[in-house]
Amino acid sequence: MSFQPLPARPERTLRLLDSLFRRNKPAADPARIALDRLGRSFERARATAIVAARPGLPDALRHQPLVSPRKGVDAARALNRASGLLAFSVLTDSALEHYRGAFRNKAMFTPLATSALTVAASLHGTTDQRESAHLFRDVTYALAAVTGLVGTAFHVFNVGSRVGGFRWVNFFYRAPVGAPMAILISGLFGVASERLRREGPGGRPTVFGLGAGRTLATITAGSMAGTVGEAWLLHFRGNFQNPAMYIPVTIPPASGALLMDAAIRGGEKRRTAARASLWATVATGIAGTFFHAYGVQRMMGGWRNWKQNLLDGPPVPTPPAFTGVALAGLAALDLLEGDDA
Amino acid sequence: MCADQTILANREGLRSGNLSPMQQVRAAGGRAPDPHVTGGWLSMQEYADGEEVDFAIVGTGAGGGTLAAELAEAGFSVVAFDAGPYFRPLEDFASDETAQSQLFWTDKRIVDGDNPLKMGSNNSGKAVGGSTVHYAMVALRQRPESFASRTKQGFGADWPISWQEMWRYYTKAEDALKISGPIRYPWGPKRPRYPYRPHDLNAAALMLAKGAEALGIDWTETPLATVSAPRGKSPPCVYRGFCRVGCSTNAKQSALVTFIPRAIRAGAEVRDLAMVGRIEVNKDGRATGLHYHRAGQWRFQRARNVIVAGYAIESPRLLLNSATDRHPDGLANSSGLVGKYLMTQSNQAVFGVMDDEVRWNKGPPSLAITEHWNYDDRKDFFGGYIHMSQGPLPVEWSSVLTGSKGLWGDALLGELDKYNHQVGLKMVGEMMPQERNQVTLADEVDQYGLRVARITYSWCDNDKAMIKHALDFMQQQAEAAGVKEIFRQKNDTNHLAGTIRMGADRRTSVVNADCRSWDIPNLFVCDGSVFPTTGGVNPSLTIQALALRTADRIKELSRRGEL
Ligand SMILES: Cc1cc2nc3c(=O)[nH]c(=O)nc-3n(C[C@H](O)[C@H](O)[C@H](O)COP(=O)(O)OP(=O)(O)OC[C@H]3O[C@@H](n4cnc5c(N)ncnc54)[C@H](O)[C@@H]3O)c2cc1C
Ligand code: SF4
Repeated sequence: MSFQPLPARPERTLRLLDSLFRRNKPAADPARIALDRLGRSFERARATAIVAARPGLPDALRHQPLVSPRKGVDAARALNRASGLLAFSVLTDSALEHYRGAFRNKAMFTPLATSALTVAASLHGTTDQRESAHLFRDVTYALAAVTGLVGTAFHVFNVGSRVGGFRWVNFFYRAPVGAPMAILISGLFGVASERLRREGPGGRPTVFGLGAGRTLATITAGSMAGTVGEAWLLHFRGNFQNPAMYIPVTIPPASGALLMDAAIRGGEKRRTAARASLWATVATGIAGTFFHAYGVQRMMGGWRNWKQNLLDGPPVPTPPAFTGVALAGLAALDLLEGDDA
Repeated sequence: MCADQTILANREGLRSGNLSPMQQVRAAGGRAPDPHVTGGWLSMQEYADGEEVDFAIVGTGAGGGTLAAELAEAGFSVVAFDAGPYFRPLEDFASDETAQSQLFWTDKRIVDGDNPLKMGSNNSGKAVGGSTVHYAMVALRQRPESFASRTKQGFGADWPISWQEMWRYYTKAEDALKISGPIRYPWGPKRPRYPYRPHDLNAAALMLAKGAEALGIDWTETPLATVSAPRGKSPPCVYRGFCRVGCSTNAKQSALVTFIPRAIRAGAEVRDLAMVGRIEVNKDGRATGLHYHRAGQWRFQRARNVIVAGYAIESPRLLLNSATDRHPDGLANSSGLVGKYLMTQSNQAVFGVMDDEVRWNKGPPSLAITEHWNYDDRKDFFGGYIHMSQGPLPVEWSSVLTGSKGLWGDALLGELDKYNHQVGLKMVGEMMPQERNQVTLADEVDQYGLRVARITYSWCDNDKAMIKHALDFMQQQAEAAGVKEIFRQKNDTNHLAGTIRMGADRRTSVVNADCRSWDIPNLFVCDGSVFPTTGGVNPSLTIQALALRTADRIKELSRRGEL
């Protein structure tokens, strides 16, 4: 699968952003040097280990395919897209939900700001064909990931602090513990995408010095599990009253499992299966938006009473999170391509 | 013929949209209002008066509505009568407390005894759907021992049905109403998961929880008959708290929006504004049908079987009013117990204020509950009680302040200013069955010319001991939760039960375990009046479970040719 570059119109904005954030000599950036070093030493350690253990290793691991650096950039941009979609979902969802919560705590503005920045960074990345990381994006994505972690802590505290503590009713109706994870995942995809833009030793794309395909597949599968967990909790609260509510707790976990299978065991057949299921998850996210819109209609007064029902009904902006995660999974598959050639 | 024309004329009037359901019949001309659709209709089968239907049912509430649906679905021909109007919740129920007194049975009744019951809004509905149209939706199971109070607990009388069987039917009733309840219920034997998830707790409920945790007793979210997620055309609850004056969203799973449409779809006819005045019995001692008043006329419906489900005052009144030369003490009364052993439930409360704003009227009135004193037997009285968080609407609250606290004028206004900070805990307690508490006929007559009920009620020492225990405990709990300015409401009672008790012995009961009269084999009574004891929980789910069981039994008897 390959992504076409976006039309060149945003170029001017990008150049402006570039002039603000991009240093002329990327190598002078201490954070990047540190990360690079870390990555290289990982890769060195791994290479040494592989050489030492060579005779006993399965083919898939011994093989070090040579991939064109372009492939890394393509995958990185696909990840930018996934990250942006997730961030957009977080932006709209946290705007609605935190408005509903009357922004009682000032920290409730944070996800709005970081997710907006993440959307911008992702747009920027999607149109950027260069084979190097970008400080603005890197920092933004890292910030998003941290926001997700801190947000999760806030939400867990919010659940536990009400009388009754960690009992079901509080998990159902207090701050949803799984929600901030979406911005964490968005950040992780973003950080990974920046790592991907630089080819690893041997021309092989790496993330954190590890084989890019597998690392990404693992992150994606983990993210899928988290997103499914969140959907399960809230659909359980809604009693799976509509059979369609089972879709996001069946198709996406299956696609996560198939992706892991393709990453670990390799093989064209497995990759095809994973690809098909990930596309089904992409569709699940899109369909979910429509299902949630229909759910809003089933509230008292339906869309005529949208001011209330957008807040109280099923959250229209959340299902695309599945699409976002699945897009990242597809990018991971692209990178796995040829791993076992 | 004349009446038919009136009915048709009403139907025309309805189209113009300005006739009150209190004055004009709505279920006629082959159709009945669809409670789920604004201006919508369900097509309805109709039966001629002269046609002998399988079942004529008096009352369409928790007991009658359930039976109408179950029996019609089993293929029987059914006509269900209700003296009350056929509401369209989406159109008729305003979010206006004062507009809704229409829901209650405010026909004339006479009360006496040491503790005369206050009748009306707190205990009797009059509508298609019965009291469930304005009930508070609390849907509880009686504890197992309550079905054998005499042998297991040493008071009252045993039910002729085992608790295991009742609990099986509770499961069915909970499913029919899609009760929203907690994931884990803290008391009693394990029960299946509630069909829908619990509702969120409002601040009034959190007070109960906080107090309970401080005292180290269990609490939970109240199982409620209002959905927490969509169900068919019912949207989820919107937590505005108008439940007791009629839910205008249909989130509430009243008989009106659940069993009644089921009954009509299955071929039952429902007759609104149809007051049954008398059951006719032939010389063989079998019921042949009933006399009812509708659209200005007395009429007679023939029926193979009659089921009475008018609740604990109207059911015995109907049996007593149906007396003949052969049955001078009223129908089905060879035991002399028709009208006896009336029970209400004690409904005392403690109220107070919190520093923080509470807005206790938001949401169904009782979102949190503790059944601690139903299951803890270390107490110096018989029976048990629950207590729940509270959320009366402003008018209801001011009547508590004037009636129970004796406030008036400036003092009342000052107190009403605290409305949004007010909280309360209210008990539902088991009162003892006493033969002297009863429904008899007064000499006065109502608008239909029927003798009205005289309701005699006195508390016994056990009732008083339980009330004192509950008030003390609830006060302690409220204080532990930080409630201030506590005031005890000492005089309130609510739900009714008894008067046509069921039992295993025809000498000491009026109906058997199948709710079938010992004396008149084709006469059934299936509503709150058959309770031998009332238990320490709100009664409606038990009535519905009983009605589901009775329907199964009737199907079985019919199969065996024993009807
Ligand atoms: C304000 C309020 C709140 C309540 N809250 C709860 C609660 O939270 N939980 C709970 O479990 N219970 C609650 N209850 C009690 C519950 O509603 C009743 O126990 C239950 O509905 C009784 O069922 P039933 O079938 O015996 O009678 P009802 O449901 O009262 O139905 C009787 C029907 O028969 C009709 N009728 C009577 N006589 C005649 C006649 N002669 N001819 C024609 N029609 C007749 C009446 O019009 C009425 O509609 C509440 C009651 C009230 C009033
Ligand atoms: S609070 Fe819920 S059940 Fe009560 S009237 Fe409103 S919508 Fe109906």
